[in-house]
Amino acid sequence: MKSREDEYRELFMAEALEAYDDMSRHLSELERAPDDKSVLNELFRLMHNLKSSARSMGHTAIGEVAHHLESLFGQVRASERQFTGSLVRVIFNGLDILGAMIRAVGANAEMPDSSGLLNLLDRAIAGEEVEVAVESETEEESGRKLELSDLVYIQVKKLDKLLNLVGELVIDRDRILTLAEELDSPALRATARHLFRISDDLQYSVMDARLVGVGTLLNRFPRVVRDVATSEGKEVELTMNGQDTQIDRNVLQVIADALLHLVRNAVSHGLETPAERVAAGKNPTGQLSLVALTEREDVLIQVSDDGKGIDTEVVRKKAIERGLTTAGVAANLDDQAVWSFLFEPGFSTASQVTDISGRGVGLDVVKRALDSLGGQLRVDSEPGKGTTFTLVLPTSIAVKGALLVELDGRAYAVALMHTDTVLSLQPAQFSVVGGLFVTHVQGRAVPVVPLAQLLLEEGDEPLPLASKDSLHGLQNVLIVNYNNRRLGLLVDKFVRQQNIVVKPLSKPLDHIDLFGGVTLLGSGQMCLVLDVPALTRLFLARRP
Amino acid sequence: MNKRILIVDDSFYMRTMLKNMLTDAGYEVVGEAANGAQAIEMAESTTPDLITLDVILPDNTGLDVLKSLREKVPASKVVMCSAVGQEVIVTEAIENGALAYIVKPFSEEKVLEIVNSALQG
Repeated sequence: MKSREDEYRELFMAEALEAYDDMSRHLSELERAPDDKSVLNELFRLMHNLKSSARSMGHTAIGEVAHHLESLFGQVRASERQFTGSLVRVIFNGLDILGAMIRAVGANAEMPDSSGLLNLLDRAIAGEEVEVAVESETEEESGRKLELSDLVYIQVKKLDKLLNLVGELVIDRDRILTLAEELDSPALRATARHLFRISDDLQYSVMDARLVGVGTLLNRFPRVVRDVATSEGKEVELTMNGQDTQIDRNVLQVIADALLHLVRNAVSHGLETPAERVAAGKNPTGQLSLVALTEREDVLIQVSDDGKGIDTEVVRKKAIERGLTTAGVAANLDDQAVWSFLFEPGFSTASQVTDISGRGVGLDVVKRALDSLGGQLRVDSEPGKGTTFTLVLPTSIAVKGALLVELDGRAYAVALMHTDTVLSLQPAQFSVVGGLFVTHVQGRAVPVVPLAQLLLEEGDEPLPLASKDSLHGLQNVLIVNYNNRRLGLLVDKFVRQQNIVVKPLSKPLDHIDLFGGVTLLGSGQMCLVLDVPALTRLFLARRP
Repeated sequence: MNKRILIVDDSFYMRTMLKNMLTDAGYEVVGEAANGAQAIEMAESTTPDLITLDVILPDNTGLDVLKSLREKVPASKVVMCSAVGQEVIVTEAIENGALAYIVKPFSEEKVLEIVNSALQG
């Protein structure tokens, strides 16, 4: 975590360097117009601030030089002397050395010796006519470089544009690769391969330029936790880990509010009061941890508390009350499936004040933020032990890993983030339960539905009842996962796995929420990107 | 209720430091002004219990700002902030209604001692 000292140090450096640049400019102005009072005032003020800041940072040597120069400016301002002749050279020389001293602080280098300068300035202040030693001037002259910072600040907007252009480039590249194969020209193929390598590298570099440490967001939280804990009368110890984990800046921006929500919830609802904790045989101080880590292509951010955990039965009951499920179905759901209701819109709206489970206040908002990124929200809880929310985020937003499947001769893409597994099953491995195909994946029953029924048959009526007579030969099942809920989709063929650049759908198709966007394949073929959250919702609404 | 404080200083570094010290001590920092015009505007809109006012500001002298503040928000107490060597201005400031002055570089103890006593006085 960035400490307060680090923060002060950064602020000091930024302000000192800026002041130095401004003063250099003003000094040149003053040389041309030695009587300009406003420039003198500005120089005096900047030098004065630098002196104060340097002293409070403990950089006494810088403070001393600044103090002397300030005194000289004071004398000029009070018209006790003129800013001409040797005084100009003395002050320019002093400012140069001051700049070198500031840079030494930034570089953690040894501070240049300023005793000679201080002596010179002392004599100048006393009214002596002094001259900068000639050798020091030539030395300064030869050693002078126009130093620019190694860092460039750039607007996110410009990076967004770069990323979009790279996206277009990648699509054309895939097209050229396909053409090279079709035309069977060795020269074109070699060039295409080279283009592939370069554009891959370029894409990686642009994505890399957009990465920031998760710490830039996490570092806001000690203060938030402190404030919420104080107002709720809780004792909370916050631990953070993985601040250096890299993630796209825009992803971080999108989840900032969601994370704030989860952290506030954890403190005010997840963790108990000190008295309750003592009564439960726990340490009065609650533990809250914020951890970021990279897992394969994704970044995980976990918010864990050691509080009272989620009361599954209360959630089950509320889900029935809210009409999100029926009592019969709810009775057979496992804990994970019950907790998924927490993320349903409308789960908590009526109960924000008397929220018994302590969870669910606006969790659908968190869920929506993650959906918009193609991310996932997972929850895990143990009564009396605590709750962990896990945000699964893509490292980058533009390019997604996707699985291409084929249906009726058309290709569709499904984000890998939402795919669990692919299976090829014999008809015997399906059973029919309540009019739905069901198969078993890792010991859990998963409903399976022909993708064609969801995509191609319009209307709100329930899906037709499943019949095993319709299954002939090996069936290709894509298991998708959304909100802890698995769903099997029957497709004609699995094509391949590929990185795709998702473009939003243009009008009038943009209202079809089953499609998250469109991508162009190397063959030039258009490919719709399936929106797994929307498909899951459609399935739930139309299940027989 | 927490006492409400407005910080006036042209250095972001100094404002941040002061703000941290004051909020850590339980005060509410209602605003941060970087120049005299902002200071007067923010003081009028927030009417803080106390204003910390830097002696040297980019647009106005701290003294001019002090005079306007005394006139426009007489209920707000003013404490001057100044570096060593500005004693003349400080004396004049006290004559014009400032309650005390904090010497830069700030020590947390000193700042809180002066702010506490100014707010009680």
